[in-house]
Amino acid sequence: MNESKKKINEGRIKSMQDKIIALAQLASFLAMWVFVIGITIWIINLISVSVELHDAPGVSLGISLIAIPVFITLASILTYAYFGFKKKDNSKLKNSSED
Amino acid sequence: MPKKIQYDYETDAVLYRPIYETGKGFYITVGILLLIILWALFMYITQVWFGLGVTGMNQPITWGFYIVNFVFFIGISHAGTLISAILRLSKAEWRRPITRMAEVITAIVLAIGGLHPILDLGRPDRVLNLFTAGRLQSPLLWDVTSITAYFTASTIYLYLPMIPDIARLRDKGGKLTWLYNFLSWGWQDTEHQKKVLNRAINILMIMVIPIAISVHTVISYIFSMTLQPGWHSTIFGPYFVVGAIFSGIAALLILMIASRKVFHLENYLKKIHFQYLGTLLLIMSLLWFYFTFSEYLTGIFGSEPHEMHIILYKFTGPYAIFFWGMILCNFIIPVILLGFKRFKTITGILFASIAVVIGMWLERLNIVVPSLANPRIELPIGIYFPSIVEWALFMGGIAVFILGYVLFSKFFPIISIWETEEGRKEAITEVEERIQSYLPGDETISK
Amino acid sequence: MPKWAMIIDLDKCTGCGDCMAACKLENNIAIVSPEEANNGRVMFWMDMITMYEGEYPNIQIKRMPKPCFHCDNPPCIKVCPVYATYINDEGLVGQVYHRCIGCRYCMVACPYTAKVFNWYEPEWPEEFKVCFNPDVSVRMKGVVEKCSFCAHRLITVKETADSEEREIRDEEYLPACSESCPADAIYFGDLDNRESKVYNLSRSSRAFREFEDLGTEPKVIYLLKKE
Repeated sequence: MNESKKKINEGRIKSMQDKIIALAQLASFLAMWVFVIGITIWIINLISVSVELHDAPGVSLGISLIAIPVFITLASILTYAYFGFKKKDNSKLKNSSED
Repeated sequence: MPKKIQYDYETDAVLYRPIYETGKGFYITVGILLLIILWALFMYITQVWFGLGVTGMNQPITWGFYIVNFVFFIGISHAGTLISAILRLSKAEWRRPITRMAEVITAIVLAIGGLHPILDLGRPDRVLNLFTAGRLQSPLLWDVTSITAYFTASTIYLYLPMIPDIARLRDKGGKLTWLYNFLSWGWQDTEHQKKVLNRAINILMIMVIPIAISVHTVISYIFSMTLQPGWHSTIFGPYFVVGAIFSGIAALLILMIASRKVFHLENYLKKIHFQYLGTLLLIMSLLWFYFTFSEYLTGIFGSEPHEMHIILYKFTGPYAIFFWGMILCNFIIPVILLGFKRFKTITGILFASIAVVIGMWLERLNIVVPSLANPRIELPIGIYFPSIVEWALFMGGIAVFILGYVLFSKFFPIISIWETEEGRKEAITEVEERIQSYLPGDETISK
Repeated sequence: MPKWAMIIDLDKCTGCGDCMAACKLENNIAIVSPEEANNGRVMFWMDMITMYEGEYPNIQIKRMPKPCFHCDNPPCIKVCPVYATYINDEGLVGQVYHRCIGCRYCMVACPYTAKVFNWYEPEWPEEFKVCFNPDVSVRMKGVVEKCSFCAHRLITVKETADSEEREIRDEEYLPACSESCPADAIYFGDLDNRESKVYNLSRSSRAFREFEDLGTEPKVIYLLKKE
């Protein structure tokens, strides 16, 4: 009795840990998007300031056209990897069925 | 007492050893480095407290060591990601033990270099003005954006190929399992995951090359966008990029030789790796000289008085020793050491690399200071002596880099284990097939 | 819109340095210790360039007062990362001390080396502290500052003119240097006003500007020495 209880408890702690870690992973991955969106907002804010002050808005616009897609692509690659790794179970099934 | 982790049975046991075994040397190194960093921190606090007057900068030499080191460190950071990306892209099989180390250099040094402009600020408390009222038209903001992009890209580029290794450490158990578990993103070595990882790395390595080139081009723009003689030059973009890759390879070689000695990696970093990278260093040295030659020849031939004044000042003025030292370190020494087979030993390559790193630092000094010392307007020529504060922060920067690298090697393998295994398992057949496909013959044969 | 400009007649200028002193007092510029000044941390908004011509024993000394040139196309504002330096509609190039982050990029970009930096917290001897000009803000350490063409005086002049419901008269708005010059070598006025003294002098054959080929279009015009 005691033994199995202990095991169940251990299992619970283990699954709790796994949940916390999974949450932390999700949080860190979302942080990346917060960072990228933050940069985008920052750049858009700078463009609006330069438009307001008539201070060469074309230059700002040109730079933002390069900068924003770069950051978004970087975040997308991480997203792709993050969800790609999650999908492991389906692929295993697929692989075995193909085999 | 934590249980001893078994790793001796692994083929690549040497690569696990630094993570699970900590010697006395580790604590001594970390202690010394922390002391240097504390000293630098104290000096920086003095600077913030009293003002930039504690440095050697003045009017007209308003930029000194901080900007020199900024350009220098960012240059060093080009070693990593760019070289690793190029080697991966060209499917150079000898890349496997090098890429991780190169990428680590980039991530750490870029963080250090990127902070240097903040050290240089008179009002670091106002740096957040960049967010509320930044001007994207200013080359400094181009830098902020491109360095952030490069830092993000190179950190991801360091991290993604590390995931399978982190998963290996996680499965070994022992210290910090939760950390490895968190960082491994649920890696189980399945075929699908491998496919996803490879695809992500492939996209990333293509992206990282233009970003890396843009970073150093933009840094050169800080100088070349002004009207100052000696700076206002179109060649500066590629010149800086070449210089950056040049100093980057040299720094990578020094680090490789040091790691080989400290972590006993003689079986992984073989002579061939140093020979190949040494050849690359030699090529970059010649390329650097070509750019330097073009830069000065156009100046001398045109003989625009202000331009000429600065060139003569560099050749014969108080900074002449640095100019000729730069030529010696960047061109003469590496060409002699790397050009002749009998000097091209690992020791020879080490000396050439050290010379190049010093020479490239001198090059940055030669670009920043003499132009500022000779303003267009007829003011007395300025002179610049860096103060103890600037030296301390320079030492501190180097110490942070070494500390970062030492700590990294404590937690993660500095040579990619899974890529080494993959190389052992698949590379030979893969390369054979690839070579088969190069050979003349019917297209179908290669398939 | 007026376009304020300064004309410095090098023929009249004796190089006495009164403009420098007047400027220092008018604008609450820090007094730097001689040792620091020797290290190149001297603070002048109105500087004096000394040039030596010829060979010993026939050396000629030329002196040339040098304020900020208030370029129409200023290289300094192009590079500022935080809008801390700007040009207004009347062509005055200003500095926002409370926004400046002290990166000194503007000083590096200025071909005329017109800007100075507060390397330390600004200091004055006790007797100076009682006679600060209340119209000019005192700067803090770590920011860039430069000649403003005494823009605070323009505000007073504008207010008087507004209350009397008239235009600003020629030579009503004068910076401290121009006002104090004992040789009357510094003229100041509106370059767009065809009746102003400055406009007429700027068309003189002796008129030249520093580094005109750089395209910065400075609004400080020098008049050559008469032969």
